Amino acid sequence: MGIVLIGTSHKTAPVEVRERLAFAESRLADALRELVDREMINEGLIVSTCNRVELIAATPNGAGQPDGAVSRLNDFLIRFHQCDQSLLQKHCYYLAGQAAIKHVFRVTSSLDSMVVGEPQITGQIKEAFQRAQEAAVVGHELTRLMNRAFAVAKRVRNETGIGSSAVSISFVAVELARKVFEELKGSAVMLLGAGEMAELAAKHLLNYGANRLLIVNRTFENAVALASELKGEPVPFEEFEKRLPEAEILICSTGAPSYLIHPGHVRGALERRRNRPMLLIDISVPRNIDPAIGRLDNAFLFDVDDLESIAEANRAERKREALRAEEIIEAETEQFIRALDEGDLNAVIGAFRQHISEMAFSEFERSRKRLGDLSEDQEQALRVMINAIVNKFTHPVIKQLRDSEDGHSPYISAWRDLYHRDPHD
Amino acid sequence: MVILLMIALTLYLGGAFYSIYTFATKSNRAVGPARKLALIIGLGFVAHSAAMAMAWREAGYFPVVNPKEVSAFIGWAIAGYYLAMSRRYHTRALPAFILPLVYLFTLVSMLMPEPVDAMPRGLESAISASPLTQIIFPFHVTLVIASYAAFAVTCVCGVMYLIQERELKAKRFGAGFERLPALNTCDEIGYRSVTIGFVLLTLGIVTGIFWNNQRDGRYWHNDPKEVMALITWIVYLFPIHYRLTAGWRGRRAAWMSIAGFAVVIMTWLGARALGGYHVFG
Repeated sequence: MGIVLIGTSHKTAPVEVRERLAFAESRLADALRELVDREMINEGLIVSTCNRVELIAATPNGAGQPDGAVSRLNDFLIRFHQCDQSLLQKHCYYLAGQAAIKHVFRVTSSLDSMVVGEPQITGQIKEAFQRAQEAAVVGHELTRLMNRAFAVAKRVRNETGIGSSAVSISFVAVELARKVFEELKGSAVMLLGAGEMAELAAKHLLNYGANRLLIVNRTFENAVALASELKGEPVPFEEFEKRLPEAEILICSTGAPSYLIHPGHVRGALERRRNRPMLLIDISVPRNIDPAIGRLDNAFLFDVDDLESIAEANRAERKREALRAEEIIEAETEQFIRALDEGDLNAVIGAFRQHISEMAFSEFERSRKRLGDLSEDQEQALRVMINAIVNKFTHPVIKQLRDSEDGHSPYISAWRDLYHRDPHD
Repeated sequence: MVILLMIALTLYLGGAFYSIYTFATKSNRAVGPARKLALIIGLGFVAHSAAMAMAWREAGYFPVVNPKEVSAFIGWAIAGYYLAMSRRYHTRALPAFILPLVYLFTLVSMLMPEPVDAMPRGLESAISASPLTQIIFPFHVTLVIASYAAFAVTCVCGVMYLIQERELKAKRFGAGFERLPALNTCDEIGYRSVTIGFVLLTLGIVTGIFWNNQRDGRYWHNDPKEVMALITWIVYLFPIHYRLTAGWRGRRAAWMSIAGFAVVIMTWLGARALGGYHVFG
């Protein structure tokens, strides 16, 4: 058996090519069944997202060189999408064996993603794997590979800081809020003005547990419209100062040309909040919150440049962490290959031993009648003797196999051809 | 007994290193290492408690009478306080600050020479003044020292708060940012601890006054230690009072908790230097 793979991603192909090669959800099951012909391709899995298309497959035992299986994948893509060989040649990568396994680990751990460390890809691959299971086109080999890949992704996530810090401005807002409040549960967010980034930040804060969203706008109708979209509460502009103390977090994003929020506003709000802290985020340019507020105790003010520089620092941090993740992937790939070879070897040895042992005992059973009555002890002694002969006979062969541990010696392939049984047969 | 103390000390050291290691290498949230850590310190605490119980039986009186014993008892109390708290707060930062203190107090105690008179002279007669004073003594000591432990934790929370607050205000996020707990968490643990410590100290002072009265009929002697304890009590009364009435919290509360602990240290060590009858402890 072996793992083969053909794929294209944001790194090798522009979006026109990726969408040309993508698999629609509705046709995925058909595609999977067509892909797995049980001749060259024994198991298959298709990952199709907006950033990548990957066909991962396992070849049956004794299928020979992986090239045949890879070109089978290639032909399948051409047939299914009715495209030219030249298109694939230019934009796809073809991988087999160790390189394919490593690639699967890297992709699943989000090291090959556009935003390295973004967590969605792991979920998308899990889903693709589930689709393939439903279509009954994955078996032992791919299950083993993918389970390991998910475990590696988890390890990378836990042991490196690759996904721990926010790299977009709207997520930095969440990160800061958690650094001040720990839990957002029970807190209120006030959104002053509108704007894509501000709305996104508000949405993230709600996702992370904030309970209430107050929306203030100079034009009350706009506040009402946005409130119904985001499930918030519209607040008339005149009531802004009165309602400000309710908010733990204020996100400000208006087109006003000067400061709208002055130290007096926040000082008053803090007093009414009995100094429970406030996080103020000013996404507007020009700024709407007087920077002097940042000097007040228990008020934490960040403008758009602050957020951007935090995001930038986090991106640099991620790059460093990605190097550590690559080391983990390298080690895990090696280990997986070794376990694979070992498992392979054990299966060959087991089958060989069993074969000889069965042969010996069936000969014994055949001659048993002619031996006449035997006491239990005598019969037991004969069985022990047969076992000993089997052991003595198989020992040098097994030793030879174990000594050529790299798994690729001609001995092993010869014995594998003789004795290896595929679990699916 | 010495063996039990050595075991406790080794476990405390292991716990301190482990907490610093997890603090330095991983970010603040995670439950697994916190459980392991609580187990290590828990075992050390049990060994330490057993050693103290043995010492108590051997001596025939509550064995916290000289600086050597008091130092170990402070370590024991902080460890106990940490264990009680670790069930609720799974922060990695707090143990990394507290557990070295546990280790240091216990270590200092073990390094101190065995005093010539294990029991200070004045104290023996003070304890055996009446049957009641014999009962009061362990309570008085335990309450006061447990309050020190709580104040130590408050102080640590104050320091963590100030570091975190400074990074947020400066918008420059160094090594502490990822690892320290959120401002609100520092504030909450600190406030809880100061409240607990204040209650314990109040009871400790009350038992002390009662003891005085049992001994010679006077409630107060204007002894340096008594005066310092009263000052400590007032210093901690302020932040609690103003938090409840005026919403003092955050930076100001953090500074108060650090200042308060400085007074605690002075009460503990400084009162010795000033003399007076209350020189043990």
